[in-house]
Amino acid sequence: MYFLNEIERKMFLKKMLPKARVLDVDDELRGWNWHQPPLAPAYEERLAVYEVSNTYCSTHRDLYVRRVLKTRINPNYFMISGKAFHQIVVSVIEHAKKLIYFHGPTPQGRLTSALRQAFEISWPSEVNMLTEEQKNDLTNKGKCLAEYEQGRILARVEEVLTQQPYIGADALVHLTVPVVCEHKLDGRFLGLSQYLSADAFMMSDPMVMDIKFGSPRKFHRLSTTGYALAMEALYEMPVNLGCICYGEFKNGQLIVNRDMHLIDDELRQWFIESRDEKMRMIYEEIDPGLADDCQETCPAYEECH
Amino acid sequence: MNLKVTDIKQYIYCPRIIYFLYICPVSKKTTYKMESGKVEHMVLDKLEERRTLKRYRLAEGERVFHTYLESERIGLQGKLDMHIVVDKQYYPVEYKFTERSASLNHKYQLVSYAMLLEDYYRCTVRNGLLYLVPKNEIIPVEITPNAREFVYEIIDKIRQIIRSERVPERQRKVNKCRDCEYRRFCGDIDIWTKERVDKCIF
Ligand code: SF4
Repeated sequence: MYFLNEIERKMFLKKMLPKARVLDVDDELRGWNWHQPPLAPAYEERLAVYEVSNTYCSTHRDLYVRRVLKTRINPNYFMISGKAFHQIVVSVIEHAKKLIYFHGPTPQGRLTSALRQAFEISWPSEVNMLTEEQKNDLTNKGKCLAEYEQGRILARVEEVLTQQPYIGADALVHLTVPVVCEHKLDGRFLGLSQYLSADAFMMSDPMVMDIKFGSPRKFHRLSTTGYALAMEALYEMPVNLGCICYGEFKNGQLIVNRDMHLIDDELRQWFIESRDEKMRMIYEEIDPGLADDCQETCPAYEECH
Repeated sequence: MNLKVTDIKQYIYCPRIIYFLYICPVSKKTTYKMESGKVEHMVLDKLEERRTLKRYRLAEGERVFHTYLESERIGLQGKLDMHIVVDKQYYPVEYKFTERSASLNHKYQLVSYAMLLEDYYRCTVRNGLLYLVPKNEIIPVEITPNAREFVYEIIDKIRQIIRSERVPERQRKVNKCRDCEYRRFCGDIDIWTKERVDKCIF
């Protein structure tokens, strides 16, 4: 999911990277200025990045239900499948890295045939909450995703091995899977959770990455923005690029689109405003009221209606 | 009713200023800073007429001063300090008499002028220039789709304040309040101490 294709790489090198290098972000919006407004949090609540960015409910009442009314919300199919897909991507990548270290690059055949073997998926426990039909659907999609991910890693390994016959295992991992999955970040500087987890940080193309399954929404870019701010606060270096990888299943096939974007002044301001608004809602216990377009699939639907 | 480009600048400085401008107009004193600013503007205009465009990194072009721009479509109006026309390319220029560096309110003021200029000439403006006069520094600002959208959002928010007639949240930066012309009208500003703002939450 994270590896850019040829066209995207071209776009990255010719457009995004040069722009990111000269991106003039106002200093007050850089994460390392977390100790002063507007970045300094005004309330003592701590939010997860997804809590700040999610705008599936237009009034954010889902957050109010969970954080103020403290009602346990049962995950719906989309949440469960999203969690399962995330887990699959991480496990395939981790597994591939382990195999590279275990077998080493030579003899080549041993490693590549290990990477070719079918990957055994371990499902999150929430899958048991699904109907049989939903389970079957999820299993098929999960397999498709794991195969895709495995195939891409294998291709990269083979490519590097043909170019670099004397490479060691560590360098091979770095060249073929240059991504840190579930990158843990302490977001307390920004009033965010201590246990943030960015889906991925791509080291070769310095970019925060996030996976979404479902249709693209504008506010998805707030997730990468939140992680970028947290990274800047922790590491004191600029993080200017984000990428959302969208996975969609159509007729048993996985379709992947990527939205590369600059983490500019506007996204940063949007993130901070959203954080402040939501923190205030929780701290002051303000009921934001029902949205006027509630969907029955919303996990807070029962509580709200 | 069209809003003014300066409203955008003011809103970013502090949303409460919009309340003082539109809902509860207050008479504020003309400060020395404002008076001297006007004089500096006039002197600069004279100087600019004679200078080359080298400082803007443009070889040649025509300078146009103080164009009144208005767009019903965008819902904005304002008078732009200067713009440069080079081969059907248009660069809005805003003079800033600040010793500090350019700030976000200057940026979006410039973006707003760029959007108005686009309507005026029916063209696309890709870059604007902020001229920090005391430092003699030119800062190029790219007019990105996000920045344009952000201006539209601010316009919406300003209209919301005017419509709801509610006093918005005050500015959280103590320094801004200290320099603000409306400070004495903000009843709750005393409680907004530096200690509270700086309190770091862990
Ligand atoms: S004093 Fe502060 S809060 Fe009041 S209008 Fe000015 S900047 Fe805003």
